[in-house]
Amino acid sequence: MKKFRSGILVFLYILGAASCEKDDICVEGNTPLMVIEFFDIDNPDTPKNVTTLRVVGQGQTVTVNTVADRAGLNKITVPLKTVGDTTSFLFISNSADNEDGFEIGNIDTVTFNYARLEEFKSRACGFIVNYEELAGSFQTDTENWIQDIEIIRSQISNADSTHVKILH
Amino acid sequence: MLRYYISFLVLLRVAFGFAQDQPIATQPIDTQPKDTVIYKQSYGIRVGLDLSRILISSLDDNYTGLELVADYRLTEDLYIAAELGTENKTQQEDLYNFNTSGSYLKAGVDRNTYANWYGEQNLIFYGGRLGFSTFSNTLNNYQIFDTNRYWNPEGFATASETPEEFNGLTAAWIEAVLGTKVELFPNVYLGASVRLGFLFTDAEDGRFPILFVPGFNKVTWGSKFGLGYNYSISYFLPLYKKDKKVKKIEVETAE
Repeated sequence: MKKFRSGILVFLYILGAASCEKDDICVEGNTPLMVIEFFDIDNPDTPKNVTTLRVVGQGQTVTVNTVADRAGLNKITVPLKTVGDTTSFLFISNSADNEDGFEIGNIDTVTFNYARLEEFKSRACGFIVNYEELAGSFQTDTENWIQDIEIIRSQISNADSTHVKILH
Repeated sequence: MLRYYISFLVLLRVAFGFAQDQPIATQPIDTQPKDTVIYKQSYGIRVGLDLSRILISSLDDNYTGLELVADYRLTEDLYIAAELGTENKTQQEDLYNFNTSGSYLKAGVDRNTYANWYGEQNLIFYGGRLGFSTFSNTLNNYQIFDTNRYWNPEGFATASETPEEFNGLTAAWIEAVLGTKVELFPNVYLGASVRLGFLFTDAEDGRFPILFVPGFNKVTWGSKFGLGYNYSISYFLPLYKKDKKVKKIEVETAE
């Protein structure tokens, strides 16, 4: 009987321990951001800052929330759409407003195409999206400040390394 | 003369008394005489229903379930036990909604540890089961988790509203059971049990993982253990009677 009683205690202990679960907060993963680096066209291995860069998603009225607005930067991270296989951005160099509040910087439109790969991360997270087959292009106009776009990594599963190299 | 006789009789009586004392003193009194009344115990099959699954089915719109329970008495304290059931459950998580439906069978043994008093037939038991379930999983709708709110300021982007079914899933597990069955009315038993399961099947495989297994209950993320319970009402059908084995009690000898 004494053995049985201690057996019950062990059973109840395991029962209690087994009913513990991690909080219902997603910590296992997230949809990754895309990392873009700017390089000098004359010296493709040297990073080059873009003066007062402004990045706006096409169709949006606010600037991208992951990029410091109108700062001189050579490395930025941007979010891609999780619905649809295309995301376009307006990259504005020398961004400034005139007296009427209009943008006077040089606007280049860059489009990224990709395939989305849905992945179930955990009970709390649900699905996230990873991207693959990344391709980039920019609209040519009379005075492009962007000279070339190179894809360094066509798979985006984290924001640890640079995926896109923009030469200017 | 009369006086002489009386004295003689008294003397004789005393002498007889001594003579009678002698054999009694040498023969110990049997304080534990053998009980010749044999108590016969009933053996048979007990069948019933899980009350909790019926109750939750009627209260929760997102759940229907039914479980049949049965056990068969093999020996004094050993029972073969089984549960057969079906469950259909729809669950809403933060970013997805899914449904699991299927049936299950659990089979194993129970060992009664309760020493019943005369006439009682109650159980406090522990036991084990092997569980097996076939089911299907349907992902009704889901959204994409993305902490960046730039493209979707209002919330998470909906990825699909079309139900996606994952058919022909199976799961197997072992279960440790602790429970009780109490005779409420003659041959009618009310039972309760808790179960600790260990899932053999890899639940986190594939596009959509197994988050619920009929019979096993919730599959915890990053763990193989699961918890279950039932509250059963069952009827005992006596088939035959057998003598109760009398346990030999060791008499402590006084020094």
